[in-house]
Amino acid sequence: MPAVPLHRNNAFHNEPKFGHFLLVSLIVHGLIWIAFTGDWFGARVNPKPPIFVDLIHKPVLNPQAGRPDPRPSKKQQAAPVKKSVATPVAPKAETKPEVKPLAKPAKTAKPKPVPKPVPKPDQRQEKKVQSAIDEIRQRQAREAERDALKDKLAKLRESVGAAATVPADVPVGMPDGTGDEAGVSALAFVQAFIQQNWALSPYLLDRSQIANIEAKAVLAYSSAGTLVRYRIDTPSGDPQFDDSLKKAIIKSQQLPQPLPKDLELVVIFNLKEMAATRR
Amino acid sequence: MLLRCLAVIFLCLALPCTALAATEIEISSPGEQTIPLGLTKLLSEQGTRADRIADEFDEVLGADLDLSGLFRFVDPQSFLDDAGRIGLFSNQVNFPQWRLLGAETLIKGTYHLDGDNLVVEGRLFDVVNRRLLTGRRYVGQPKDIRRMAHAFADLVLKALTGEEGPFSSRIAYISNQTGDKELWLMDVDGKRPLRLTNHRSIVLNPDFSPRGKEILFTSYRANNPDLYRKEIYTGKEAKLSYQPGLNVAGRMSPDEREVALTLSKDGNPEIYLISTSGRVRKRITDSWGIDSDPSWSPDGGSIAFVSNRQGNPHVFIADIFTGKTTRLTTRGKYNATPAWSPKGDRITFTRQENGRFDIYTINIDGSDERRLTFGPGNSEHPRWSPDGRFIVFSWDKGGNRAIYVMRADGTGSRRLTSLESDCRHPAWSPRW
Repeated sequence: MPAVPLHRNNAFHNEPKFGHFLLVSLIVHGLIWIAFTGDWFGARVNPKPPIFVDLIHKPVLNPQAGRPDPRPSKKQQAAPVKKSVATPVAPKAETKPEVKPLAKPAKTAKPKPVPKPVPKPDQRQEKKVQSAIDEIRQRQAREAERDALKDKLAKLRESVGAAATVPADVPVGMPDGTGDEAGVSALAFVQAFIQQNWALSPYLLDRSQIANIEAKAVLAYSSAGTLVRYRIDTPSGDPQFDDSLKKAIIKSQQLPQPLPKDLELVVIFNLKEMAATRR
Repeated sequence: MLLRCLAVIFLCLALPCTALAATEIEISSPGEQTIPLGLTKLLSEQGTRADRIADEFDEVLGADLDLSGLFRFVDPQSFLDDAGRIGLFSNQVNFPQWRLLGAETLIKGTYHLDGDNLVVEGRLFDVVNRRLLTGRRYVGQPKDIRRMAHAFADLVLKALTGEEGPFSSRIAYISNQTGDKELWLMDVDGKRPLRLTNHRSIVLNPDFSPRGKEILFTSYRANNPDLYRKEIYTGKEAKLSYQPGLNVAGRMSPDEREVALTLSKDGNPEIYLISTSGRVRKRITDSWGIDSDPSWSPDGGSIAFVSNRQGNPHVFIADIFTGKTTRLTTRGKYNATPAWSPKGDRITFTRQENGRFDIYTINIDGSDERRLTFGPGNSEHPRWSPDGRFIVFSWDKGGNRAIYVMRADGTGSRRLTSLESDCRHPAWSPRW
């Protein structure tokens, strides 16, 4: 009777082969590697809140609407500088070594007379050419300076004009202004717009109510900025408060700007801020 | 087995991705804390505009609504043609025009003279929902135009808040306009003053009966501070309490069956309850200190009063059934003249600090004390309006003391009486 290998005859004969172990190990290690190097964990560790409200600088659809840019970007800053130094011969009036000899004749208006000690004929010719070149340089410098001043003046006029057309109490970038810059947050814009349309006098409510009153509404906007449907999900129970919400929603049925996409949002209306200020 | 493991792993990885948060935003305060109101001029239905009638109505109504603090008036300069159109039905009002101006509510009105009678109609509209909220027709004499305007202001407040305004009520006060301190009565806006007494003595500390038919006051007419009652409509007057010593600060109970007052017949001023015929029924306080200035709770179960039984004058609350007394105020060295609010939740009083009186309010459990006035001068004798929205008080802001009214949060104060005479001790009537 031939010898039968032990493992074929006992319980171990069902154990997977080494190759199977290796395959499973590789797959598991691979999955772990994918899981840890992928984006899932990063996104899960720091989930963005549903909405971030910066009370100082509220992000809105038109951040700089109707206002001159208080802080021009680097690009904008660079442009006028480039223009002013575009002419290669425009030295700064303050720079001592080059400008000092050139600045003097400009002050006197008359060009300096030829130096008293008469030089040799060829030297004199050379000096004449040199002084002519200097004059041209000076003129160019003056023109460049004038251009820069004109630019500044135009910008100043522009800013004054813009400030005059925008109401003084409208913060930079709020929906009251106009403009077509791409916004940073459509959600924040909608929030600011609805809040602006919500009018409610605290004298309509009991003082004790103000801190706890709350209602929840669901609003759906199309990408055109039109309110498609709404419902008050959880009314507050106070008729004055709920009525004011309905009015605010009806007044907000058309946003002044289209949205990047259709938007369905749950709006929680409460008076926490009012309660804090009236304490 | 392997497939099962993989499925579990993938499920675990996929779960966080599928759990998407709903887009939620929170708006924690309204953009505007007043209701934009388009208040149009009263228009004549007969084409001719009797300026005096219309202007008086507009002035009174505007002042009342302004005092309420509920509204922001849309600038009349910006009104479009609908403001000049007679049309009191919803389908006759150009609501988009008013929406354009930012109004949420709109008041329109007309009037016409029918013989000697004046007929005024007023309407309040909801501009956003394009509907009529309330409206009323008033018929009376042309001289009643102020009363009509006050009544319509009350109606507007009722339509918007659910509670009628106090503008049709009256305010009693003490004035020395005639040279003596007499009892006077005026409208809530200080107009139509009417002298009620001619004691040629000192009258002080008036208070209305809860139904507004009578006024209690103290007078030195018989050379003793006695308590009198006076019927407002008939003018009949009678002594109610004339015990030896003080008979002051009489306040009728909410059911009008008893009067709480301060008597010093036994030497020390104490709070007593007397019947409406003047018979002493019950002694409420019994301490070595001075107890005065009682004020009923709206349910008639308690009385707030001032006592110096623990040293300085403070406000206490006494349960008239059990006699249990609790101290309400703990701060300050001199607290006086408490008045219980009509809703029963707060008490207003005056406190002297740095030699000056100012007005405060406090919850009846002693919490949430708020100072309402901040000088200069003394603000005293605070009393609530019948709806609890306003407080009337006297103020001697440099010179003569006058009657002022303010909202219950201390804002919007305005003077009601002239500074030519000394006016004090105001008392707000119930709804007229």
